[in-house]
Amino acid sequence: MGIEVKNLVKSFDKKVILEDLSFKVDDGKILSIIGFSGSGKSTVLKLISGLIEKDSGEIITSGGDIAMVFQYSALFDSLNVFDNISFALQERKDLRGKYTRKELERIVAEKLDLVGLSGIEDKYPSELSGGMQKRVSFARAIVTEPKIILYDEPTAGLDPISSTLIEDYIVRLKNETNAASIVVTHQMSTIRRTADSVLMLYNGHAVFEGTPEELMEQRTPYTKQFVTASIEGPMNMKG
Amino acid sequence: MKIYYKATYTYKLYRMFIQELESFVTTLGNIALLGLEFLKGLRHFPTTFKSIMYQASRFGVSSLPITLSIVGMTSIIIAMQVAGEMVKQGAGNYVGMLVAILMVREEGVIMAGFAIISMIGSSLASEIATMKVTEQIDAIRVLKVNPVHYLFTPRIIAGTLMMPLVVIVASVFGILGGAVASNLVSGLTYKAYFDSVWFGLYMKDLNVCLLKSLTFGFVISLISCSCGMEAKDGAKGVGVATTKAVVWSFVSIVVLDLLFAAMFFY
Ligand SMILES: Nc1ncnc2c1ncn2[C@@H]1O[C@H](COP(=O)(O)OP(=O)(O)O)[C@@H](O)[C@H]1O
Ligand SMILES: [Mg+2]
Repeated sequence: MGIEVKNLVKSFDKKVILEDLSFKVDDGKILSIIGFSGSGKSTVLKLISGLIEKDSGEIITSGGDIAMVFQYSALFDSLNVFDNISFALQERKDLRGKYTRKELERIVAEKLDLVGLSGIEDKYPSELSGGMQKRVSFARAIVTEPKIILYDEPTAGLDPISSTLIEDYIVRLKNETNAASIVVTHQMSTIRRTADSVLMLYNGHAVFEGTPEELMEQRTPYTKQFVTASIEGPMNMKG
Repeated sequence: MKIYYKATYTYKLYRMFIQELESFVTTLGNIALLGLEFLKGLRHFPTTFKSIMYQASRFGVSSLPITLSIVGMTSIIIAMQVAGEMVKQGAGNYVGMLVAILMVREEGVIMAGFAIISMIGSSLASEIATMKVTEQIDAIRVLKVNPVHYLFTPRIIAGTLMMPLVVIVASVFGILGGAVASNLVSGLTYKAYFDSVWFGLYMKDLNVCLLKSLTFGFVISLISCSCGMEAKDGAKGVGVATTKAVVWSFVSIVVLDLLFAAMFFY
């Protein structure tokens, strides 16, 4: 059943960030959330993953773990790739001691393989390129077989080729895990290559909901402004 | 004529004061909450022995050189300043006692505290703050691991237990330094110095010294972790958090030192 969000409201110090937001993502589908910086995209992901508390509304998720991939990977820089990926299996209260070293090695190798990396277990994050760090963070996120995967600007700051690679792996992880995924992004290429549906946030509301094709058709002032990256339009960025 | 009170300097000063007070109370609250969470976490003792040992070695190794130099230097200064005078006045037999009392009761702990704050406290705070602003702490949370138990428990335990060790080594070093300085500066014999060292020391002094260093170690690591955890807004936030941790630790141990002196020696 994936993720269902109903009438979600969130404000920070009286500043309303999300006002009555509703949407749904089915298992095996990818929703792309777009919108200008500060429109509350990361806030949506943090609310779903439980990092912050909502003011009101409902977030219904299928049971099981929720994985989150952070914008700058957020790998633990004092741990090597092996310990990063197996972190949850080694440190989570209900999983600690459940796996032997051999099993951990097998699981880590398997996850690394899923993101097209192998044999880098002993490397530290600082020894990896940005794209590789991102893929290691994918592997870390999916280590407990989550039913929901949230990506916060997964291709931001990467070169176009690394971005394409990352986009392929997002689709691949979806196919492998049948998880419901949300991809927050600014990039048209990411939307085109990964999304089943798109939601545009502005002023705390969804100002567009539809397929990537409908977004490209630019039939509303909002979609037109976003796709053409125009300054003119209904959305203005303060500051 | 309407006087808009919000434009007055008095009001602005008042606002500033209130804001400072607010942030003071918030910080205090955060430290207390973290302390509580730490104590709760002790129940299931989730941290491995290995990670406590790792943090402890970090505390000991990186802080000993600077602690020893500060404490050694201080005791040499004290001995130089007073030994000559005391020998002249016929009180040379008490130089060792004076240095020992100063070292064990005050200097050893407070100087080791200062050294630990500047070496360990700041590095703890900036480490945690960096993890906070790069979302590593959020990543720990999303992976359903309690960051307090995973990160802070081993650090706070290590900080609490290592502090007395550092203090003991530092005090011994300080007393030895005093002996050498007194001998060089005013020709006091080592025998005269060390005979009197024992006059000044009671079991109570050593116990209080131990208790005080445990407390300081706990408070410094707790404050450093807590201030690091409050960091926000990227690289700048790391600096702000580190400064805050250092200032708060400094003030706290001086205040605690005062309380200890009042409680046990007044
Ligand atoms: N913890 C917080 N405290 C206060 N304000 C916040 C917090 N997190 C986010 N905000 C504010 O909420 C708004 C939306 O932030 P965010 O969700 O990160 O936007 P986006 O990811 O779309 O760029 C921003 O204006 C930001 O300043
Ligand atoms: Mg964001």
